[in-house]
Amino acid sequence: MDTKTAPPANRTSSTKAETATGSRAANPAAVETAPVAPPPAEPATAPTRADSPLPSNLLAPPAPPPPPHLDDYESITGSAQIDALRFLAGELKGKTIKMVNSTSVGGGVAEMLNRLVPLLSELEVPTSWDVITGGNDFFEVTKAFHNALHGSPYEFTKNAQEIFLMYNEQNMQRMKFEEGMIVIHDPQPAALIRAKEKTNARWVWRCHIDLSNPHPQLWEFLRSFIESYDAAIFSSQSFARQLPIPQYLFYPCIDPLSEKNKELDDSFVQKVCDDFGINRARPIVTQVSRFDRLKDPVGVIHAYKLAKKYIDCQLVLAGGGAKDDPEGAVVLQEVKEAAGDDPDIIILDLPPWCALEINAIQRASTLIVQKSIREGFGLTVTEALWKKKPTIAGAVGGIPNQIIHRLTGSLVHSIEGCAYQIRYLLTHPEFAHRIGMNGHEHVKENFLITTNVKRWLLLYRILAKETVAS
Amino acid sequence: MPATGNDDGRGGGNGKLPAERKPARPFYFNTSEHLLRISRQRAATLGELHETLRVCDDGSIFQHTFRTLQEHHFIRQGFSNDFAHWSLSACHEPILAEQLASVDVREFTTIEGLRDRMVEIVGEFIGTHPHAAVRPAHEPFYFCSADLVVLPTPFVSDALPGFLDALRKVSVHSIHHHFIEARLRLHEMSNDFSRWLEEEAGLAKAAEAVERIDIYTNTMEGVRQQIAAIVERAAK
Repeated sequence: MDTKTAPPANRTSSTKAETATGSRAANPAAVETAPVAPPPAEPATAPTRADSPLPSNLLAPPAPPPPPHLDDYESITGSAQIDALRFLAGELKGKTIKMVNSTSVGGGVAEMLNRLVPLLSELEVPTSWDVITGGNDFFEVTKAFHNALHGSPYEFTKNAQEIFLMYNEQNMQRMKFEEGMIVIHDPQPAALIRAKEKTNARWVWRCHIDLSNPHPQLWEFLRSFIESYDAAIFSSQSFARQLPIPQYLFYPCIDPLSEKNKELDDSFVQKVCDDFGINRARPIVTQVSRFDRLKDPVGVIHAYKLAKKYIDCQLVLAGGGAKDDPEGAVVLQEVKEAAGDDPDIIILDLPPWCALEINAIQRASTLIVQKSIREGFGLTVTEALWKKKPTIAGAVGGIPNQIIHRLTGSLVHSIEGCAYQIRYLLTHPEFAHRIGMNGHEHVKENFLITTNVKRWLLLYRILAKETVAS
Repeated sequence: MPATGNDDGRGGGNGKLPAERKPARPFYFNTSEHLLRISRQRAATLGELHETLRVCDDGSIFQHTFRTLQEHHFIRQGFSNDFAHWSLSACHEPILAEQLASVDVREFTTIEGLRDRMVEIVGEFIGTHPHAAVRPAHEPFYFCSADLVVLPTPFVSDALPGFLDALRKVSVHSIHHHFIEARLRLHEMSNDFSRWLEEEAGLAKAAEAVERIDIYTNTMEGVRQQIAAIVERAAK
């Protein structure tokens, strides 16, 4: 394994998107619309490229950029899409939305709300965002709920039930529900629905997790609350449960103007590659994901080694989580052992604020792999497709919604299948280019934040009409 | 409304060139947006698909045929409807997949007709391959349906140049709405563009040429360009 130290980098490199929307930085209103502060700086001790220290510019999180405005998306989606949003929002003028979840920082839901809330408000559908509060006991219970709903073994106790209900009751007393549509995200605040009868609002439960195989007793407990909502939303058809209320499909989404996805100057991409010892003159196969067995990073190394018998390439495994997750550290060690002394395997354990660097690595890559054994929706796949990268991914979770085999990417079920697809795509660049372009269009159509804004507006319109009809 | 002329290049009945002719009624470009609803029905075998196809909502048939074509408008070949895709990817039945994929949604002016054709194809297949009817699929087929909302666009054309300009600017969803979904509204083998070109602009041949565009070997963007090219030629 290559363990040479990466040189320090200058993280202030300009990006294409910043150039295009540079006037935003001078717009104080843009800064004011950011609803939450960035996560506090954590001790930066994560190593890079095996055991080497990170470039000094990556040791602390940078200040977040201001959120984009609706007009900034027009060059990406086309004006017709933005016109449709404005028309739909115009019909909802005067109506309001409240989003409620369990954290303002960290995690995909908070990341999504950070973008969604300002855009809905900009469309004059004022949208507020409340975060429930609770003690450590509450969050321990809800973390256990989360794992159990994913199918992990769990002993569902009376005590856990009481803690869950007590904190939901406290939050219910503290919060006001004066908006027209109340959206409760995930199970933690699900029991807030008990406030429904005192409101005129339409209540929606947005479930971001896979409920295809939940802990039966726990699900029966939660189900009694969920059935009182006016609608439920899931991220994939396969994640849903049989419920007596309407269920809608909202795919998770990415923001094409975020640090992780915006266009980058090639000079910045080159610099990041130089910093991490990635050779752009040779094929680069990359998997971006935390060091977790369910992402099968060791399987990716085996697939790379099988493919390398036929074609030259480098493998980049860029991830994180090894510092704050004891199991992650164990998996990282397993990955290093599987990599052995191959200098073409580059292992990067990056802190969570390295979105620009991840973006650059993805853009520099020839192929992206996401060989998960189990997956939620798989937003790293969405990110890869958006960057027009030919993508190979495990046919699990929400990935088949994104990858239509041989049309928008390649679906695989084994190490051998993954190895073959690496060989095939590296030796058929025209085909690889075509599926990469298709993948980009698929994301543009279905998995961008603007499409998600449209879904919320459509849902509100449909629920509001049902209210009038009833 | 009767046609006001023909598109033989001489301007039709009123003596004007087609590009100068003022259609009796303008063309209002609309678009449609959809919210995907997850149905409670699913199929784990081809036999279950056959049964559920008979009884599912019209909205589900629409979603998995017309709508899915729109969702994948950027693919030129290899994707036609969800039933065909599932038969291949989850059931590994290429013959059935080819038969289902060959169903052209534009041959149907009602959902009932399209449903009957799908039921017939799957029924015949499992009749001759009874083992395939009960073999579990790799993944279930989840029936969905679409809640549809029709929206206006800012584009209204009262002459061919304006029509062409708007055609090039509207979203592909608007093209799909007028060119493909229109059959279910009109209940006839035509589309909004062809109807307007023939009845309002007097371009019967152009209308026919537009109707003959093959949506299964084109992206929706390609369809847009072909319509524009036909109208441009006819307007000269």
